[in-house]
Amino acid sequence: MEKYGIGQPVRRKEDVRFLTGKGVYIDDISRPNLVHAVILRSPHAHAKILKIDSSEAQTMPGVLAIVTGQDWEREDFAPIPTRSAVKTKISGAPLNQPPRHCLAIERARYVGEPVALIVAESSAQAQDAAESIEVDYEELEPVTDQVKALEPGAPQIWDDIEGNICLDFELGDKQATDKAFAAADHVVSLELRNNRVTAVPIETRGAIAEYDAASDSYLLHNATQNVHANRATFADVLKISPDKLHHVAPDVGGGFGAKNSGYPEPPLLLYAAKKLGRPVKWIADRNESFQGDTHGRDQASKVELALDSEGKFLALRTSTIGNLGAYCFTMGPFTPTAGSARTQGGPYDIPAMFYSAIAAFTNTMPLDPYRGAGRPEASFQIERVVELAARELGIDPVELRARNLMRADTLPRKTPMGLDVDTGDFPQLFERTLKMSDREGYAKRVQESRARGLRRGFAIAPYLECSGGMPKEFAGVTFASDGTITLSVGSQSTGMGHETSLPQILGARLGVDMDKIAYVQGDTDATPLGGGHGGSRGLEMGGSAVMTAANDIIAKARHIAAHMLNSTPDDISFANGAFTDVKTDQNIAMEDVIAASFEQGRLPSDMEPGCLDTGVTYERELITCPNGCHAAEVEVDPETGSINVERYWVVDDFGTIINPLLAEGQVMGGIAQGLGQALMENIVYDEESGQLVTGSLMDYALPRADSMPNMQLAFFEDAPTAKNPLGVKGAGEAGCCGAPPAIVNAVLDALKGDGVTHIEMPLTPEKVWRAIAGGKLSP
Amino acid sequence: MPQLSLSVNARPVSADVEPRCLLSNLLREHLGLTGTHIGCDTSQCGACVVLVDGKAIKSCTMFAHQAEGCEVTTIEGLAGEGTLHPMQEAFRDHHALQCGFCTPGMIMASVALARDNPALDEAAVCKGLEGNLCRCTGYQNIIRAVLAGAKSMRGKHDV
Repeated sequence: MEKYGIGQPVRRKEDVRFLTGKGVYIDDISRPNLVHAVILRSPHAHAKILKIDSSEAQTMPGVLAIVTGQDWEREDFAPIPTRSAVKTKISGAPLNQPPRHCLAIERARYVGEPVALIVAESSAQAQDAAESIEVDYEELEPVTDQVKALEPGAPQIWDDIEGNICLDFELGDKQATDKAFAAADHVVSLELRNNRVTAVPIETRGAIAEYDAASDSYLLHNATQNVHANRATFADVLKISPDKLHHVAPDVGGGFGAKNSGYPEPPLLLYAAKKLGRPVKWIADRNESFQGDTHGRDQASKVELALDSEGKFLALRTSTIGNLGAYCFTMGPFTPTAGSARTQGGPYDIPAMFYSAIAAFTNTMPLDPYRGAGRPEASFQIERVVELAARELGIDPVELRARNLMRADTLPRKTPMGLDVDTGDFPQLFERTLKMSDREGYAKRVQESRARGLRRGFAIAPYLECSGGMPKEFAGVTFASDGTITLSVGSQSTGMGHETSLPQILGARLGVDMDKIAYVQGDTDATPLGGGHGGSRGLEMGGSAVMTAANDIIAKARHIAAHMLNSTPDDISFANGAFTDVKTDQNIAMEDVIAASFEQGRLPSDMEPGCLDTGVTYERELITCPNGCHAAEVEVDPETGSINVERYWVVDDFGTIINPLLAEGQVMGGIAQGLGQALMENIVYDEESGQLVTGSLMDYALPRADSMPNMQLAFFEDAPTAKNPLGVKGAGEAGCCGAPPAIVNAVLDALKGDGVTHIEMPLTPEKVWRAIAGGKLSP
Repeated sequence: MPQLSLSVNARPVSADVEPRCLLSNLLREHLGLTGTHIGCDTSQCGACVVLVDGKAIKSCTMFAHQAEGCEVTTIEGLAGEGTLHPMQEAFRDHHALQCGFCTPGMIMASVALARDNPALDEAAVCKGLEGNLCRCTGYQNIIRAVLAGAKSMRGKHDV
């Protein structure tokens, strides 16, 4: 059993399928009589739609249906609801939620907003027809920047929402914070941006909708991270009962948040499938993904840190203006507000904190959670202001951080932001990271870099984040008499490897071979509820549900074992896959108990064949706090501004590690996305026209193999959380929290001799070169 | 529509496809070989890499008709049914894939890279995979896998 036990680096079960080209992603699915949809999108950031003439397109070969905003309005479908956990302004009034319809009605508010749906026999025919639809637009002035959107006289995106404000928000003790600032010896202040990025899963979004007239029900295959929540959303839009919509996610080629949301395309496809009586498929192209996948981050913040004369942190004050895009997307209003507030201050002991935010509408693609959703922003804010404080106060940044970390003996505690930090040892992780990073050899490496004309810099970035997503999760286990065990979960892997790690947990706990466990996810018919994926919840929620189900199964099996051993359940112990009578030492294997569970003659009289089948809902009480420490060493070429992240170290505390192979994969992937945001990724809208400048992979830079440093990873497993039965804290988003501050601060450390104190992300060679050259060369 | 003949995964294939049909479309839509993936429309991502006469080619950059008479190998034809090629094995051993979407292109590119470079090192792998994007792994495990896979291929004289 131990071969597959918890903590073992088990190779993945799903891999053989993926390695041989047998994965089934959305575009690999076909259906008899399939027809193809294309979305016509707004080419303008802000425009009135005066008229849509599709008369020519209607007559083109293969064209089956054209649906416009007017048609949609006539059908009286509902707008797509927001599911933001933050629903009110500071005043208690509800947030301003403009109607987000699946097609723009009368006015388009961002480049890429769906304007019409075209369905034809082939995708090429639909594309040809889309190009011949004439839309008469009257262009309006756009505003794409959230700070400018709040200025007096800014273009108004919604007639009935004054000042482009969705909501305001605050958290923490303002009075105590202001008082601490007033009494502080030093106040360090920094204005910074967290740049707009997007997830770019290599598989674009897509879906196939089918309608069955006999049962008046729908089947939707969709490249989504969240079948249950989106079923509810799409059912709301179409005004049908959710049980009329069977929602299935096949293999999903990455998500990172961008496949979590309630998008407009699936309801359009469901509508067309019913109208035409044929299955309708839509696959986004990459340009469409940049326009129409949700974006992330995009916050303009002011961060202020108050310190005493010894460099002890006294208070933190952050104010943020978050860009929401043109609408409230599924969870959009949550990210710049509560999502960014909870982990303010990171792992530092800061007695007073206050966070305030305004979320603003702009003429851009709406924002929604992207890997981390607020925690990477919070981590970047505190680490940047601490780095600047060290510089301004003349204290070594390593020493300043060490002086202010929360001590292990002060845990558990609640931070001023209300976050329950239960277990961990931040100073120990910090020390371990420093030790790994060979500080002794650093001075020599600096000399070597200098000899090659390069600047070398180092930074360390401890982080504290939290899990999230739906607070309930379901796991079901069914047993078949041929020995097959089927595990069905409402959580969902989009690449993280749950097909391996969840059967690994069940197999280890029950003491059965995990290879006998079939795995089902992403299907609204397979589980009564499910939270899908988001918020690093895969093991925390899905894993805990599986563990709870396993414990229920063991409790039932104990009764059967007692009956079979002529004993009583109280005298039966369970370990290593076997039940033992503690009095007689007689034992029986779990597998034999499972076999017996199908035969009434071998069961106690109050149990029936099939009695081991189990379905449980696990509910979390408190979110967990993954934490850790990143460190980076970089080389900067002052002649070109190019950056080489040369060395990288991480120690993470994710609580119990179920499968280190998969946990390391999560960390490295998160670092890559964090490095991307720090150095190259950037969604750019032209301020004047509102056009999306970065609409392809030729304009939006992604990290490649040669962008990445050698990453040295370690786990700290001495502080499992008691918040869930597995002791896990979550691993998926941590890399995105630690990497941007570690890399940016290391670059700024390299440039300290040049007097450079701040560069906005991404740190492209041009920006770095201009910063080194100083103001005289700035544009 | 013009007739086209070529060999795909060591089998003769003929098809009637439009002149504008890309090799990637021929493989996916006409031959049902959906292991070759499409991740972009500008030939950046590399998910569609196949071998054409032994060379790694982004199949979205080539018209199907340009492959007339060529030998094409896709991920489905890399190893015999029920077996894994050493490069596939190495990707599995080193956890060099997560969502699996970039994986077929990544593996086909790596196989060509290993065959063309008897002395492959880390820098050569990074350069050789410049045209293949992965969004999940952070590449470190891919680089390790390619080096291990190449070594294993040399051991099996598949170079």
